[in-house]
Amino acid sequence: MFHPFAQWLSTTSLSVGLQEHSWIIPVSQSIHIVCVCLLFTSALTINARLLRARTPGRTLSDLTGTLLPVMRWALAGLAFTGVLQTIAEPVRQFVTPMYWAKMLMIVIVAIMTVVFARKVRANAPLWDDVNRRPEGAKAFAIITSILWASIVVCGRFIGYTWSFYT
Amino acid sequence: MSIHSFLIMVEDLPLSAAVRGEESDNAWLFPIIETCHIFALSLVYGSIVLLDLRLLGWLSPGSSVSKLTRATLPVTWTAWGVAALTGTLLFMSKATTYAGNLQFQLKFVMMGLAAVNMLVFHYGSFKQVGRWDTARTPPGAARVAGALSLSLWTAVIFFGRWMGFTT
Repeated sequence: MFHPFAQWLSTTSLSVGLQEHSWIIPVSQSIHIVCVCLLFTSALTINARLLRARTPGRTLSDLTGTLLPVMRWALAGLAFTGVLQTIAEPVRQFVTPMYWAKMLMIVIVAIMTVVFARKVRANAPLWDDVNRRPEGAKAFAIITSILWASIVVCGRFIGYTWSFYT
Repeated sequence: MSIHSFLIMVEDLPLSAAVRGEESDNAWLFPIIETCHIFALSLVYGSIVLLDLRLLGWLSPGSSVSKLTRATLPVTWTAWGVAALTGTLLFMSKATTYAGNLQFQLKFVMMGLAAVNMLVFHYGSFKQVGRWDTARTPPGAARVAGALSLSLWTAVIFFGRWMGFTT
């Protein structure tokens, strides 16, 4: 379904322009990886805290207050470089299910994280108290950790699988 | 034995051939090991950058640097161990190609410089961390160490990714 669209996109002046500069894709992918590293580590740090791992001297709301802005910037960088790579190499991206799985999981994990952040901000004392923290906190930590790990795997495997579908 | 013949010997090992995926049974071994390498590197880079940003005074200013160091270092070193192991396996599969690759060489130069920077910080300004542990803006030497570490490890990521386009 998306193949004709990808073919058309790859012939647009913007896509051709990006393809003609051989340094753009490597630089974009490098920034993309830097953003993934920051998102992955920040998410896992918050999730480790939710699963009661010891993080000396910091409350959950304090930790999220520090790391969520990092995640917001990294997600913006991830989206910008991701769009750039999709425009530059649409066929490579659109043909593999890995790309669509990655997109779907990013949307799900982003919505889950926004809802989580709002809940923590709305009632910080409740979330900071390990004994009173909502039961769903652990489920959130486990599910989002799996989603972030799967996003990394799918992202890497786009490059290894796209040629099977062309 | 010359370095080149040593690299050829490494490349000829059965383990190196397996990682290269010469048999259909292990065709996916290289991508799987590479993905593990990316996981480990993500945690190495992410944990180091969080500390660097604190040293620069840009992230959670006023929080204890020594506590943050104690919390992040075990993650950094464990992930570094996994990255080193998986990186060695990937290197073995194409030892002669990687050894002669400029981006690979620069990646290791950057890691070497990052290690020197870490040692200078550890045995320098970090020795007096008690004096500035919760300062909103750490002393100049600590900020320089943070900026250098951030730049060098970002360069490691860049050269690491660039290797994929040049090997």
